[in-house]
Amino acid sequence: MGALWILYRQRLRRDRWQIIVWILSIGGLALLAVAAIAKSFGDDATRAQVLQLATAAPAILVLRGLPRGPALDSFTFFEIFAFLALLAGLMNTFMAVRHTRAEEESGRAEIVSATAAGRWAPLGATVLHAMVANVVVAMATALGFIAGGLDPAGSLVAGLATGAVGFAFLGVGLLASEFFSTSRGANGISSALVMVAYLLRGFGDATGQVSPDGMTMTAAWPSWVSPIGWGQQTFAYTGNRWWPLLLPLALGAACTAVVVALMARRDVGASVLAGRSGRANARPWLRGSFSLALRLQEGAIIGWCIGGLATGLLTGSLGAAIQSSITSNPQITAVLRGMIEAQGTSMTQLLVAALFEVAGILAAACGLQAVLRLRQEEAAGTAEPVVAGSVGRMRWLGSFLGLGTVSVVLVMAFTAVGAWASLVASGDTSGSAGEVWQTAVDQLPAALIYLALPAAVFVVWPRATIPAGWALLGIGVVLGVYGGMLGLDQRIRDLSPFTHTPVTTSTGTDWSGGFWMLGIAVVVTALALAAVRRREVGTA
Amino acid sequence: MDTVIQTVDLHKNFGRVKALDGLDLEVHKGEIHGFLGPNGAGKTTTLRILLGLARQSSGSASVLGMNPWADAVELHRRVASIPGDVSLWPNLSGGEAIDLLSRLRDGAVDHAAYKERKHHLCELFDFDPGKKGRAYSKGNRQKVALISALVIDAELYLLDEPTSGLDPLMEAAFTREIRRIVRENGATVLLSSHILSEVEQLADRVSIIRAGRIVDGGTLDALRHLTRTEVSFAQDSVDTHALAALSQVHDLTVVEGRVKFGADSDRVHEVLPLLGTLGVKGLLVAPPSLEELFLRHYGDTVAQTVPQIADDGGTHHRRHRAAAAGA
Ligand SMILES: Nc1ncnc2c1ncn2[C@@H]1O[C@H](COP(=O)(O)OP(=O)(O)O)[C@@H](O)[C@H]1O
Ligand SMILES: [Mg+2]
Repeated sequence: MGALWILYRQRLRRDRWQIIVWILSIGGLALLAVAAIAKSFGDDATRAQVLQLATAAPAILVLRGLPRGPALDSFTFFEIFAFLALLAGLMNTFMAVRHTRAEEESGRAEIVSATAAGRWAPLGATVLHAMVANVVVAMATALGFIAGGLDPAGSLVAGLATGAVGFAFLGVGLLASEFFSTSRGANGISSALVMVAYLLRGFGDATGQVSPDGMTMTAAWPSWVSPIGWGQQTFAYTGNRWWPLLLPLALGAACTAVVVALMARRDVGASVLAGRSGRANARPWLRGSFSLALRLQEGAIIGWCIGGLATGLLTGSLGAAIQSSITSNPQITAVLRGMIEAQGTSMTQLLVAALFEVAGILAAACGLQAVLRLRQEEAAGTAEPVVAGSVGRMRWLGSFLGLGTVSVVLVMAFTAVGAWASLVASGDTSGSAGEVWQTAVDQLPAALIYLALPAAVFVVWPRATIPAGWALLGIGVVLGVYGGMLGLDQRIRDLSPFTHTPVTTSTGTDWSGGFWMLGIAVVVTALALAAVRRREVGTA
Repeated sequence: MDTVIQTVDLHKNFGRVKALDGLDLEVHKGEIHGFLGPNGAGKTTTLRILLGLARQSSGSASVLGMNPWADAVELHRRVASIPGDVSLWPNLSGGEAIDLLSRLRDGAVDHAAYKERKHHLCELFDFDPGKKGRAYSKGNRQKVALISALVIDAELYLLDEPTSGLDPLMEAAFTREIRRIVRENGATVLLSSHILSEVEQLADRVSIIRAGRIVDGGTLDALRHLTRTEVSFAQDSVDTHALAALSQVHDLTVVEGRVKFGADSDRVHEVLPLLGTLGVKGLLVAPPSLEELFLRHYGDTVAQTVPQIADDGGTHHRRHRAAAAGA
């Protein structure tokens, strides 16, 4: 057995459960999308109407895709492909970082590279592992669509497009691992790039050229600088074009080639950007568990706030870009109720609603990370000296939850500032600029749920905290944000906190759902705080 | 004599830090070579370059006649190593980690001889291979690295502070295993350490590294010549004048009711009869420490002001410091 094969099998074994979850999620979501769309938007006429309204109010295209006609298969591709590609991208960046930078950071790469595996077999095994996973993802996606009754040839194109986008982000993740000395940094930057790719194609799709019948669009240039945009350009089912797949494949290969060139001249464990040397002395404010939580999370909070600010800034610029296509169409409301139960009227309000929904997810993720940090601290053994010191367990947990709350508020504040500034700068006249503050506050209850629930998991079942935290967020996003446009059953959609996010319109805000969620968050948090006193803090 | 490892004018810079600053190291076939130096001297950096895990900034290194950076894979088939800092996979048991690392070194490990040898080493080091990595202490992680290095024979062993975290019993077991390997297979060992006594037990020759260069080297006998063993006993109104007059005895002092002196390490036995005649109580003989060696031979101001023989107890400390200030 060669070292490459041994290391490949080791990666496969290490990831077996994660990979199964990713693949079933992506393939299952493809199947679910077809089934839900076939049920909710059953005939061409309904779908044509949806498309015409979408192209008339392109803000909502940010969270969907590029309209290519009302047939069930192309409509499904339009609705769900970008999200599937986003998932495939995240799967690949995490996979790339986990088997390269994280191994070097932990020092395990050292002991492996000192064997006949050398410096190259670990990289080769990682690429092989991810490529196999991407082929399986492609097959699962294609099978999901085919099982839903879509055209097999087009489904294969759609599946391969998902896998190819995944491969591009494998390269991105590997490259990020060359630059950053920590897996946290490499994961942060590469998953942010996946988000950027998603939003870029959203921008390009929303500002594209509409065909006279209002059912087909040609994307603007921003979609062409996004790997997810390239995947859309295959026009699965309507065009079945293969050549756009060469773009993500070429990007993945090019990144890998750069990685090889960089690795050929660096030491095991080194990185292009050297880790900054730390401070010799702690800042005066670093005393106690809240300030420790802040010190540990400051980098992540800054990153998420930049994400919120960018999303906010997108509001005004995108609003200005699609200003020309604004039509005050009363029917919009009915269709958009699927996405947000709004009585929205203006184009800009829809845009604000859609982008703030994205920002709300970012804020929830930022808060979630503060809670997950508790578990990481515990597993690394660094929690013990803190809790063994003057800090009680309840205060320790409370500090991280408090910091989580602060970071959620900060992310939404940055989003609102970005949105307000860009709307004012773009000369928006709809009065939406004044509403962004309220809309930002509207996102808080759902995000706070993502502090309370993982905290409860952390207290009851520590080892499950991290996977459960991300899984809860992922499910919440799928059901709450995509559930509406897929036409999922309301009772299922009601399981997601994001479904209950209050919506601000010109006529006011209905905060009943918001208050319910706040109540749940407070009660669950209180229970977690009370229960943590009965639990040991260890590394198990 | 075959040269197994040779470095010539090896430099390694990390930014502005000169980790290696013109290191010339030579290790011959079949010897146990001690690589001795204080923390931060550049031992780990040197061993990483010899393994092709790091690349020198300038100078050359050759291991078993190969260039370690370019021929790493081929080299590693013939080399076993222990890293300075061992970390393992949290979800693999120790036994699994040993198997994985052994397979990576030499694909064909699934035969009875390997299993037997692994079992033998696990017993020898009192190691439970079934526990998962998460539950391992520093000592147990070190044992995984030790067993992985020893379980398959190699021509060359590059061991970076291999006994750190082990208790004395395990250290002794390790020493026996290394001796056996060298005796039976004619293997070569390069062993880094910052503890003089550890190297002394095993090594035929030593190289002493300090601030990235070799400052001394040679056989152990030559080294013993350089070092002093610290001897102390309870004062108990023992007359120390005869002792102080011996040429093997240096720096005799009385501190906190104990008489202390340094004796040339290769001549300690010549002092013992007199100690017996004096009937001293609470005798302690401490092995020479690297710090002491450095202080006397390579240190700057501190080394030049070795305290004089003094019967007046604590006062010499002050004099010593005053002399250092004046120097
Ligand atoms: N990756 C690195 N980056 C920066 N400095 C390093 C790195 N590795 C080692 N050094 C520095 O090089 C010097 C030698 O270190 P090392 O070889 O680990 O010493 P030893 O193993 O003898 O204790 C030290 O000053 C150390 O701080
Ligand atoms: Mg070291």
